[in-house]
Amino acid sequence: MIPTRFEYLAPRSVAGLVAALDEESRLLAGGTWVVPEMGRAESRPRRVVDLRRAGLARISVERSRLCLGAMCTYSDLLASEDVARYAPLLRTMATGVTGGAALRNQATIGGSVAAARPQSDVPAAFVALRAVAVVSGPAGTHRVPVAELFLGAGRTTLAADEVITGFEMPSSRTSTHGYVKLKRGGSSWPIATAATLLRLDDAGRCEDACLVLGGVEEVPLTVDLTAILGRPPGDEELDAAVTQATAALSAPWTDVLAPGDYRATVTAPVARRALTMAWANTGE
Amino acid sequence: MDDDLTVLELTVNGNRRTATVDRRELLVEALRTRFGITGPKIGCLTGDCGACTVRLDGLITKSCLHIAVAEDRAEIETLESMSVGGLTGLQESFWDNNAFQCGYCLSGMLFSAAELLERDPKPNEDEIRQAISGNLCRCTGYDAIVTAIKRYADRGSATVEDVAQ
Ligand SMILES: Cc1cc2nc3c(=O)[nH]c(=O)nc-3n(C[C@H](O)[C@H](O)[C@H](O)COP(=O)(O)OP(=O)(O)OC[C@H]3O[C@@H](n4cnc5c(N)ncnc54)[C@H](O)[C@@H]3O)c2cc1C
Ligand code: FES
Ligand code: FES
Repeated sequence: MIPTRFEYLAPRSVAGLVAALDEESRLLAGGTWVVPEMGRAESRPRRVVDLRRAGLARISVERSRLCLGAMCTYSDLLASEDVARYAPLLRTMATGVTGGAALRNQATIGGSVAAARPQSDVPAAFVALRAVAVVSGPAGTHRVPVAELFLGAGRTTLAADEVITGFEMPSSRTSTHGYVKLKRGGSSWPIATAATLLRLDDAGRCEDACLVLGGVEEVPLTVDLTAILGRPPGDEELDAAVTQATAALSAPWTDVLAPGDYRATVTAPVARRALTMAWANTGE
Repeated sequence: MDDDLTVLELTVNGNRRTATVDRRELLVEALRTRFGITGPKIGCLTGDCGACTVRLDGLITKSCLHIAVAEDRAEIETLESMSVGGLTGLQESFWDNNAFQCGYCLSGMLFSAAELLERDPKPNEDEIRQAISGNLCRCTGYDAIVTAIKRYADRGSATVEDVAQ
């Protein structure tokens, strides 16, 4: 049983959610993170504000942008044709989420982003996809690039009375992707993740490239790949990109899974595997 | 009535029922202590072991990750729902292949296997291992569980409703 008392509310609209939020309340999405935390009394909100009745689980495509409600679960991503078509990287990512179907049916993308855990899959993947978060608060609705939401491990720019209602991202259907996680065992948290997207022009030159690493620092780490733009991807370009990844790392993250120097060591191979995967798919 | 007590209505294994619960209770706790349904077990309370697995409004989920009052009016199926009128073919296969000892993990293993077989009646071994991956078994070492699911699927009658003769 959760040791502390709380009030439970499930507003039916975004306005209702925002009105219910204050310093002493906590949003409840899938609950896979919040509920155990409350059980251990690490979080003692006076009010729990459930997002599930506010209708935030829609997936749609609007003007070739993929729009995902904050309450979409990993299972929703896996079941969606739109996700498969417009952001196949997310499908690959969701396939590798641990905890089984029960967990994938429950855990949401909004919860993963808002929790801002360094080792989580969604934050770095969304940064790679150039996702923008739609945020509602007392002052109205605004859009923030997901990359700008993260302040540190478990910390975001979201105020206590703000809620992420969804995400929007440009279509990445003309890009190939690579996604790699380094884990200790089948069901452990990742030590490092790498998400990459690559698009070639008609002449086979790299027109757009991005690589974002997760778990290696407190917040997703974007690697500058301008050095390989305009060039056909080959071994030299791969080496250059991996070198950039290593150079980008300044404050490697330490937790119970691995010390910072271990993460610094694995950054290059993890980046290389993801890039190789995206490279290999350009031939298709 | 105590401030923290409230009435929760659930349809549990087809029966609409109400019980007085504490607002702070987890779904697995309310099911076990207030509704007397002990199929779902309490293991880790962190979402890792799967012992508390139930079907909630049609989808399998870990009931330790839900606050009970948040599920008012939900439809819940527990392990008990599988064996109304005898064991299912899948359960028989677990029995025949020594796929459990203490039985603590069965809610997670059987619901995960059933969910897989609904999606894909002919899974390979890899897919079976993936499907049960959110569940911990401390007794069998997993191989017997994989074998039980595989043999059941290979018999060609992999429907969840299938009741063993
Ligand atoms: C067994 C298990 C396995 C897991 N495996 C993985 C894995 O492989 N990869 C991975 O990345 N993660 C994994 N996780 C973590 C899990 O994915 C995240 O906990 C989940 O995505 C969080 O979503 P949730 O809906 O459950 O969030 P909740 O627990 O409901 O909320 C998390 C936090 O976000 C806040 N919040 C939620 N939604 C919003 C919103 N819309 N706006 C603002 N704030 C919000 C909440 O107040 C809370 O602080 C695992 C967890 C478990 C228990
Ligand atoms: S008790 Fe719920 S997953 Fe372990
Ligand atoms: S049979 Fe004992 S935990 Fe699986």
